[in-house]
Amino acid sequence: MARVSRLPVLAAIIVAMLGASADAQAIASSAGPQSVSVTVYRDPNRTAERAMNLGWLNGYALVSEVRTIDIPAGEADIRFEGVAGGIIPESAIVTGLPDGVVEKNQDAYLLSPASLLDRSLGKRVHLRRTSRATGAVTEQDAIIRTGADGAVVLQTEAGFEALRCSGLPETIFYDQVPPDLSARPTLSVRTRSQAATRATVTLSYLATGFDWQANYVATLNPAGDRVDLFAWVTLANGDETGFANANTQTVAGKPNRESDPPRLGRGGGELRLQCWPQGTTSDIDFPPPPAPPPPPMMAGFEGDIVVTAARMDVAKAAAPMQAVQEELGDLKLYRIPEPVTVAANSQKQVALLEKSGVAVQTFYRATISPWMGDEPFRATRILKTRNRTQEGLGLPLPAGGVVLFAGNRGRPLLIGEGSVGDKAIGEDVEIEIGDAPGLFVRATRTDVVGNVAKYLLTVTNDQPRPVRFDAEFNGIDKTSIGDKGAKLGRRNGRPLWSVTVPANGSRTLAYRLKNDN
Amino acid sequence: MRHLLLASALLASPALAQTSQGDVAVTIYNDNLALVQDTRQLAIGAQRSRIEFPDVSGQIRPETVTLSGEGLGIVEQNFDFDLLSPQKLMEKAVGQQVTLVRTNPANGAETRERATVLAVNGGVVLRIGDRIEVLRDDSLPVRVIFDKVPENLRARPTLSVTVESERSGTRPVRLSYLTPGLGWKADYVTLFDEKAGRIDVQGWITLTNTTGTTFSNADTLLVAGQVQQQNQDYSRGYRPPRPNNIRKPGTESADRERLGDFYLYPLKERTTIANQQTKQVSFLDVVGAPGRKAYEYDNAWLGTMDEAQSANTVLKFSTSKDQGLGDALPAGIVRVYMRDARGNAQFIGENSIGHTPMGSELGLKTGEAFDVKVQPAVEKRERLSPSKWRTSMRYTLTNARPEAVTVDLVQSGLDFYWDDTRIVSESMKSERRSSDETQWHVPVPANGSATVTAVFETRF
Repeated sequence: MARVSRLPVLAAIIVAMLGASADAQAIASSAGPQSVSVTVYRDPNRTAERAMNLGWLNGYALVSEVRTIDIPAGEADIRFEGVAGGIIPESAIVTGLPDGVVEKNQDAYLLSPASLLDRSLGKRVHLRRTSRATGAVTEQDAIIRTGADGAVVLQTEAGFEALRCSGLPETIFYDQVPPDLSARPTLSVRTRSQAATRATVTLSYLATGFDWQANYVATLNPAGDRVDLFAWVTLANGDETGFANANTQTVAGKPNRESDPPRLGRGGGELRLQCWPQGTTSDIDFPPPPAPPPPPMMAGFEGDIVVTAARMDVAKAAAPMQAVQEELGDLKLYRIPEPVTVAANSQKQVALLEKSGVAVQTFYRATISPWMGDEPFRATRILKTRNRTQEGLGLPLPAGGVVLFAGNRGRPLLIGEGSVGDKAIGEDVEIEIGDAPGLFVRATRTDVVGNVAKYLLTVTNDQPRPVRFDAEFNGIDKTSIGDKGAKLGRRNGRPLWSVTVPANGSRTLAYRLKNDN
Repeated sequence: MRHLLLASALLASPALAQTSQGDVAVTIYNDNLALVQDTRQLAIGAQRSRIEFPDVSGQIRPETVTLSGEGLGIVEQNFDFDLLSPQKLMEKAVGQQVTLVRTNPANGAETRERATVLAVNGGVVLRIGDRIEVLRDDSLPVRVIFDKVPENLRARPTLSVTVESERSGTRPVRLSYLTPGLGWKADYVTLFDEKAGRIDVQGWITLTNTTGTTFSNADTLLVAGQVQQQNQDYSRGYRPPRPNNIRKPGTESADRERLGDFYLYPLKERTTIANQQTKQVSFLDVVGAPGRKAYEYDNAWLGTMDEAQSANTVLKFSTSKDQGLGDALPAGIVRVYMRDARGNAQFIGENSIGHTPMGSELGLKTGEAFDVKVQPAVEKRERLSPSKWRTSMRYTLTNARPEAVTVDLVQSGLDFYWDDTRIVSESMKSERRSSDETQWHVPVPANGSATVTAVFETRF
């Protein structure tokens, strides 16, 4: 009997010791920001041709949060709860604390079954057993002797036991949450203040797991020489934290990014108990394999993604809210004029620009190289314009996907999809929209004499209207190409044969290649 | 009663409530290496005794441990990493007695009996009285209660040292060892005011602790510089070295504590470095140092790009006393911010720096310019003789910004590591920086373009 009565006394001493240490430093918590600004940057390694993968967003964001915090006098830990889970802690900037920052900390541990057990090592917990037969519940005190990786050994007054290896329903429960475990991602700052005060503090940090791009919807007129262009800013947040009523910006251009240091584990979530021997022991040859690593952060998010805008419908009416472009050094900043909610695991779209009657040309291009075979192949359809006011553009175009429709039957018809990189004002814009269905190109070698080979290039058009066609000679120098009659131009330093192929007709070019080697 | 005594000892030990560490001093190097000195007040009896050191780094390199204390001689030193787990507990119980608690599934009644563990090979073979039984072979719930935990099974890796002492009594004992898992780097926050040509720079020391152990109230000293290490552990993944971005190394000495070649950064006050924590402490704050922006483009070989390529935006500044930050900079990442139209700081890019002596010129690529582009194109390539080629290059530079810019245009890949290349002619005079590179400073008018042409004679 003496045992039972003395254990709680000892435990009370421990609790008192813990309490004393926790009191040494005041803690001021801030549950969330009162206003927040999110600037989304693109994945630096994703080209315009590749769409965003909502389950694996490799862009990032600059998050600036304004919080009002009551700061106690003396030394205190200010805890910023609910920061983005993808926070890069070393990028955090805290301004507005009256007497500055002593140090900034990100404690990796989140409150979870595994971290709770880990933090309770050597501490008194409670063990509850329930009889399956009678429902009777017995509770007793226990001390966790080890908890590493879920291999739990408990000490009770009877001796030492493994947790839940016997097949009996048993569980441990705790008196309190250790003070340094938080439910949400948290950054803390140690500060020293002369007097208790209420301060407005700004916390800025970079966080991974965001991305954005432009999405252009172009509708070609029946004559095929003008498009109505509409564009979305499409931004995605793959983080577990959402930002309500956020001043939201996106940045185009390519800021340099260095690789981030490996992220520290956050204390695991799930608790997988390692038990051996467990259940029937005679048929177990080996201990069970170690628990598999927790699933990657993004896994399973796809089903949760909420798309908050549809593509086609809004394009007709003038968008009531449109992102406004500003200069930011050598980058372009797009500001969404009203605060919006950038929810966790969601994609959001806001109008970026709207231009009607943009002058375009459609032409076809093939690249001819000496080492290709003589199979006929399809030319590439290209939509071309120049980013100038004369053409109806003349504004920076951030990279993104392009969807081309033609509206000649009273309903839009998808012609194809392409992409465009960042285009400054004045640049040529060429968008490859798939292969032409009926424009074939064939280069046939007709004769070889010594080191000179003769070729015949034929392009055929099955359309009832003439089309422009460019053949670009790659890997062939002008000096070794003999052109009889046809006049070759140049594009990017390469010989270019530019012709109009008649309706339902064909054109040919005879040329010779001289092999210098 | 024996159990109770054990439990009391356990509970009374501050190790498990808080930490057994004493006065801790940590010296942290950049490359995932730290020297820990831990001075503990220990009561040591006369003659031979064993001292345990819980709460040492979980990644301690035991071969680097030294222990010193007044009148102490070391007999032997052990590092026990046999961790306590249900399986280990059972394995170590072979030949010993345990208590079995059987629960009747029908009525919940418990019966207890003593058993001897005969073998733990794939299953547990027990002797109960005169029966031999396999544990839980009938799939009925049986709890196994062990009398004790074997001595060398521990919750955490533990160092123990057997010492011989001339006298008994409490005295300070200093334990020092090397451990990986502690490292640091610098992080710089740079606010660039382009119009004023000024930068504000704050430097932060970023510590990370992945040792598995918290170092409480530690006197912390950081050493900037690479320390030669043998047998480096690449299990955490090989990381290619980052560029140091030093354009011209400096020759000035910073007003900081030094040890040999290394700069030392002591933290002003003691701090607790928690396990799995990222901690930042300020060490540099400079306001209004000169900084300017430049555009650079490097065409790596005599080749054509299909589309115009953005020029690099480069932030240039100095670390000299007169015209710069006036300090040596430990290696780290420089993040650059600019104010947007509303005055909010926005991120415009980052880059790494190496350990940078004071007086150095730095050039950091912060990003690629949206509006300033270069398109290199091979205009003509002729073969003059079997070992002589002539290549005509045209570089088209465009600027969509409302102000004129100058682009430092570099053509590299000229000597191809072994052959000579001659510039036959060029539309503007270039500066041959090396046999491999030549550079033009090309002014490009506002909302305009410029063209540079050059003819190279190469041997390939």
